[in-house]
Amino acid sequence: MRFERMKPFDIIIVGGGGGGLYAAMEAMKTNPSLKIAVLSKVYPNRSHTSAAQGGANAALANKAKDDSVEMHIFDTIKGSDYLADQDAVDILCSEAPKIIRELDNMGTPWSRLDDKTIAQRPFGGAGRPRCCYCADKTGHTILQTLYEQCLKKGVVFFNEYFALNLSVSGSRMKGLIAMDMKTGKIEGLSARTVIFATGGYAKMYWNRSSNAAGNSGDGQAIAYRAGIPLKDMEFVQFHPTGLRKSGLLVTEGARGEGGYLVNSLGERFMARYAPEKMELGPRDLVSRSVETEILEGRGFESPAGKYMHLDLTHLGADLIKSRLPQIREMSMYFEGVDPIEEPIPIRPTAHYSMGGIDTDNFGRTVMEGVYAAGECACVSVHGANRLGGNSLLDILVFGRIAGHAAAEEARNFEPGNISEEEVRESAEEIRNYMKPAGHFERYGALREELGQTLANNVGIYREASLLQKGMSDIEELRERFKKVRVFDTSDVFNTNLLQVLELRNMLDLSETVAAGAYAREESRGSHTRTDFPNRDDEKWHKHTLAALEGGKLALGEKPVTMGRYELQERTY
Amino acid sequence: MNFTLRIWRQKNAEAKGGMVSYSVSGVSADSSFFEMLDILNQQLVDEGAEPVCFDHDCREGICGTCSLYINGRPHGPVKGVTTCQLHMRSFADGETISIEPWRAKAFPIVRDLIVDRSALDRINQAGGYVSVNSGGVPDANSIPVRKADSDAAFDAAACIGCGACVAACANAAAMLFVGAKVSHLALLPQGKVEARERVLKMVECMDDLGFGGCSNTYACEAECPKGISVANIAMMNREFLSSAIRKEKSSPFTGGF
Ligand SMILES: Cc1cc2nc3c(=O)[nH]c(=O)nc-3n(C[C@H](O)[C@H](O)[C@H](O)COP(=O)(O)OP(=O)(O)OC[C@H]3O[C@@H](n4cnc5c(N)ncnc54)[C@H](O)[C@@H]3O)c2cc1C
Ligand code: FES
Repeated sequence: MRFERMKPFDIIIVGGGGGGLYAAMEAMKTNPSLKIAVLSKVYPNRSHTSAAQGGANAALANKAKDDSVEMHIFDTIKGSDYLADQDAVDILCSEAPKIIRELDNMGTPWSRLDDKTIAQRPFGGAGRPRCCYCADKTGHTILQTLYEQCLKKGVVFFNEYFALNLSVSGSRMKGLIAMDMKTGKIEGLSARTVIFATGGYAKMYWNRSSNAAGNSGDGQAIAYRAGIPLKDMEFVQFHPTGLRKSGLLVTEGARGEGGYLVNSLGERFMARYAPEKMELGPRDLVSRSVETEILEGRGFESPAGKYMHLDLTHLGADLIKSRLPQIREMSMYFEGVDPIEEPIPIRPTAHYSMGGIDTDNFGRTVMEGVYAAGECACVSVHGANRLGGNSLLDILVFGRIAGHAAAEEARNFEPGNISEEEVRESAEEIRNYMKPAGHFERYGALREELGQTLANNVGIYREASLLQKGMSDIEELRERFKKVRVFDTSDVFNTNLLQVLELRNMLDLSETVAAGAYAREESRGSHTRTDFPNRDDEKWHKHTLAALEGGKLALGEKPVTMGRYELQERTY
Repeated sequence: MNFTLRIWRQKNAEAKGGMVSYSVSGVSADSSFFEMLDILNQQLVDEGAEPVCFDHDCREGICGTCSLYINGRPHGPVKGVTTCQLHMRSFADGETISIEPWRAKAFPIVRDLIVDRSALDRINQAGGYVSVNSGGVPDANSIPVRKADSDAAFDAAACIGCGACVAACANAAAMLFVGAKVSHLALLPQGKVEARERVLKMVECMDDLGFGGCSNTYACEAECPKGISVANIAMMNREFLSSAIRKEKSSPFTGGF
């Protein structure tokens, strides 16, 4: 492997999803003379943002005339189980209408109402229909718009580059070390500022996750290894309806259109848990209900594990074909089941990471010159539970703010200067994975075992003994990982090597998720401890921090910023 | 199920490539095409051989990353799906399946089944955008758009940029890709203003990058996993002709529309 050094950048953005691209576009606009680069392991327009179907929330009041920013704020804070920082939520919701209009001006084809205004649909946990959408491809179309704008504005793209490490000396960040996936070349990219926008970490649950292969939390792991604290990592959102085998998402729309959740006794079991809202209760509640049914033995059995039925058969072929074509397609392709004739096999799937790199309201981390935005950051606007449609909004609003802040501040920092020595060390570290060894481990097996133990022990229902088991499994897996070998020694697109590097990041982060969950002796939002079933505001109304100190994980805490809304019980 | 696979192997962009045969057995009919390739790769790794490299990410048909030319068709035998949505039950037990990369002058092979599709980005960079003063439009109102127009623009915007249309085309033209972007933006009032200029720039760039011209075979529409219609090419043709007449450019459309 060769190494190379380039002239320093003013801003390097790691990640070309919605968060990273908005940051790049805004930074370019704030100061067009800056040298700005986006680095991404997949082509930006193929980032995971493209998978978001539902839409983005904004109180435009097109559909419900009495909707307001204030109602959006309250819904978000309540949804977060009061763990969100209220000043950050104010920003999120107040900026929302502007963001939607800005995208509109740039050509995002928002779906329309008959009066020519932007259409809005209802979403779980929201008091009014305020989710703006482009049919069932909202993330995809937003991402295209942003990518077009960045290409036009002359953002430099390093596509198919894999970020490896931050280069740090003392408390000063000097830039990023990355690998060109097409050539295997390790490069030191010196920079004044770096913005992480690498997306979520829920893929660590492997085939019990709705996320794309690349959502391995690389940015969070890189920041963590560089000593930057992560926040609220124990909060992982489970979506109630993932496909049994692959974990792929069956959207809430299926239940919105009238689908039933049915157990092996043929009961619509939601009657037990949410007699009024039934299948349309909030995500965390419905996920817990499905899991309870499975744990109490009322699930269906299969070699791929226990599951429940999502029954659409009573809706009839016409409705399914016209309103839920995507879901039908997916169920037929991935499960071999036509929902017109048979129920879809589902079980809860890890979907979203509320936790992430700890930032302030401008995307700044504790390390000078390092910023984070999007799903990889934790501002926090989602607290213990994110509302549907608030994540696209989060990546756009805070991507923009972080891009602006970095552009304003970049010139305050000296450009870093990464030494050849550092680059060589990173290359050496990678070459070690390719050295022949007597006894070796397979990354595929480790990855699956990690997903299993997380789903079983750090899943929807958590308890001290399970979490201890999870933590010791993770420790063992990390030990075994040291013996992982890559047999493909090619420099060109070494997909094996990339998967090993992603696994390393998932293993590093899984420890913070399990440790945070073990420490937090209460139940709040997505985090449910059967041994501590209640929310404990006195002891736990605070954020958890996880930082690497002297090579070991150390937990800390941070107060929640309150505002107009007092703590209340969260009922639906 | 058992299969014989004939796969294009090529070490890097410069190396000479060729088809290599492998057999895989014990594949479940329910497994996806990529799960089948995962089995093959595990087999190769166990034998100490180099695994086959291919592109994929979301594995649910939305990101446009996957790109295999299977039995002579982009994304394989099933209509309206991407390679990642393809399942082994669509093949016969014992079948020999040939797997190649996208073939087009503008898409050089990087390794094995992976090609470089950045040419599509360059076409967009040439003009596939709206030049508003983006960023900071706090007081702007959203633009009124008729429902029918926004729906049509959305249908064109459904393109995932996978490049199957180019791979399907005898001339390796990128007409459907460009047509989709041109229509998406020209159908919206905010994109209408620069429609003519846009189409000129994009078509010029497309020619420069070595994509071929259109001879109306409709193979692109037939193979598009997202069902993008050739009507978009017709729309682009109209925009092009009206602008080319002004600027006296020659048309890349060899057939009439
Ligand atoms: C199936 C599904 C449906 C969803 N639906 C909705 C919805 O309807 N509404 C909503 O609000 N939210 C939804 N979400 C959540 C939302 O889509 C995501 O939270 C959001 O898109 C994340 O955007 P991002 O920009 O932070 O990251 P991503 O879009 O994940 O982008 C991450 C980027 O980082 C790059 N990257 C990562 N690691 C590296 C590395 N090591 N080196 C270089 N580059 C790297 C990647 O290449 C990519 O470009 C959904 C999520 C899923 C999984
Ligand atoms: S892998 Fe995303 S479309 Fe096939």
